Amino acid sequence: MRVGIPKGLLYCKYHPFFETFFHGLGAEIINSEDTNKSILNTGVKACVDEACLPVKIYHGHIASIKDQCDLLVIPRIMQVYRNEYICPKFCGLPEMVIHSIPDMPPVTLAPLYMHNKKSLYKWCISSGSAITRNRSKIKHAFELALKAQSNYKTGILDQKDITVMLAGHPYIVNDAFLNMNIVNKLKAKGIGIITEEFAPSSITETQIKKLLKKPFWTFKRNLYGASAAFYEQKKVHGIIYLSSFACGIDSIVVDLIRFHIGEFPMLVIKLDEHTGEAGVDTRLEAFTDMLERRVVNENNHPSHGQCLYSSQNSI
Amino acid sequence: MKITIPHMGNVYIAVKILFDGLGIDYVIPPLNNKEALSLGSKYSPEEICLPLKLMIGNYIAGIKSGADTILLVGSCGPCRFGEYSELQLKILEYLEYNVDFIVIDAVKSIGMRELFNRIQIVGSESKKRFPGKINSVIRAYNAMCILDEIESQAHFKAGYEKNKGECKRLLNSCKSEVLSCNQPDKALKILKEYQKRIKNIAVDYSKNPIKVAIIGEIYTVIEPFTNLFIEDVLMDMSVSTKRNLTPSWWLKDMLLKIIKLNSMKLLKASNEFLPLYIGGHARECVGEAVLASREGFDGAIQIFPMGCMPEIVSKAILPTISREKKLPMLSLIVDEMTGEAGYMTRIEAFIDLLERRREHVFAGN
Repeated sequence: MRVGIPKGLLYCKYHPFFETFFHGLGAEIINSEDTNKSILNTGVKACVDEACLPVKIYHGHIASIKDQCDLLVIPRIMQVYRNEYICPKFCGLPEMVIHSIPDMPPVTLAPLYMHNKKSLYKWCISSGSAITRNRSKIKHAFELALKAQSNYKTGILDQKDITVMLAGHPYIVNDAFLNMNIVNKLKAKGIGIITEEFAPSSITETQIKKLLKKPFWTFKRNLYGASAAFYEQKKVHGIIYLSSFACGIDSIVVDLIRFHIGEFPMLVIKLDEHTGEAGVDTRLEAFTDMLERRVVNENNHPSHGQCLYSSQNSI
Repeated sequence: MKITIPHMGNVYIAVKILFDGLGIDYVIPPLNNKEALSLGSKYSPEEICLPLKLMIGNYIAGIKSGADTILLVGSCGPCRFGEYSELQLKILEYLEYNVDFIVIDAVKSIGMRELFNRIQIVGSESKKRFPGKINSVIRAYNAMCILDEIESQAHFKAGYEKNKGECKRLLNSCKSEVLSCNQPDKALKILKEYQKRIKNIAVDYSKNPIKVAIIGEIYTVIEPFTNLFIEDVLMDMSVSTKRNLTPSWWLKDMLLKIIKLNSMKLLKASNEFLPLYIGGHARECVGEAVLASREGFDGAIQIFPMGCMPEIVSKAILPTISREKKLPMLSLIVDEMTGEAGYMTRIEAFIDLLERRREHVFAGN
């Protein structure tokens, strides 16, 4: 039995679980390649036009491996925490894929609730039963998978003189092709990076409680909470928010963050299927230049209406 | 306290009857128009969906005429609608308008007690006693149901009417007459009278008009300004339309959801293609498309605002339904651009296609 696990969307966060689980059941695992141009192109062709870039790329990943495997794992992640969804597109992901790509092998259709062990196990039974009927084998593989997942940590923590928070959905921050290698670009400029995973949970919680309504998206809780926490702590000098075009969640979260942080530097980069890097490079350069001047030369005072070196300035 | 509400189709008429009955001070903002849209898109995030932008426009108009409280319904995800109250409050704060928000939210997210507290804030403004209040609520609900029925009758009978344009005239005069009446009892009487009149309208059932189902996102199908008055346009073309999503349907659906008995037929029809709730009304949209093919409709038009997350999923599914059930479909995506010509051309072409399809030699196979 060959099980295909596409390297798209939340693969970056939960791949130890899925890979260990299906490996434990004795299946051969087929991964798609890292995202590249041909995957992007097939994805854009197959997927419905209005979807966001990560979903399109996910379609590309699936199209690239669907002929090589007997079962495709398309996790329909409904909830990661209790009463918190990911996004409607995740809830309907298997349907989107099945109806967009012809000649699909069997896929995992069961909903995946990850907020407790019991419902997670339910998904494992329904997905694993396509491979083996042996319950104890499933149980064993499940335990191994949980262990592998709990040992796996994601996120970037690299603090320097100037540090920015790299915000964005995990599948954008961790996919070097999708985000145009922004992590390395920032590193080359000597800018430190910190991601949402390293926000202290106590401050995040207090910031979340200040909201009118308890968030029902995990991404909103993580991204808004972490940005607000870093801002309150004065731990970062700016925020770079990576967002994909037409992302429903970001259209709300970005503005909520903006309303919270006011004049604090924030750069929002919208990504879509265009792959020209120059625009992103220019914006990144301008933003880091601005941060440098703010931090190094002007001691955090607003630069509006002031000259850099006023004593030397002839005007 | 002076309450204002955002617009959604004919809801304002029922709200007017409710507040007139309760004796609460209110402002109904002017019907959605270009000004509301341009104000709304100026102050809202760029990529947010169209309903939020229009609502901001409504609020600003309401506040300018003296409102200080906004009444809004909510949900608890996963669609963006649940986050509206949060973002709108921030936007209005940023614009330095001092208003209170009363969000009638889903019981699941705020609990029964909080819900009653919030309803109590509105209820305590009324000087009526408890039975009187209940009476006003029931009256408003009845008015909404009757109005929805009149509207759906008018839309469906437009294809069959003997005197062309009668349905549309009747519908328009009904709305304007109810709106100009400030006594709730009298308003209900007018509605009932129109209900009878629309029932007795002269129709010719030997006609075989094109029948189209209007499906998609609830706000954009109900609010005529957003869908460029598509139902009126189709009425003028003598096309019978049917739309399942109405404000009264929404209310029933919300209440019955608590005991999980909501729109069973629709959900059963959607099971084959989308067996789970994914937020918004994507599942209903899929179910309606399946039902439309079963009920012998000639086609379906899906309308949703740009970027609507649940409807994108249903848009991915609809081509399969179209293929398997042999039901032509048209997806219209609306946003704050108001270029009408492109939409009208597409609608006309679609209706032409449906007409020719009938005459085709393979028709019915």
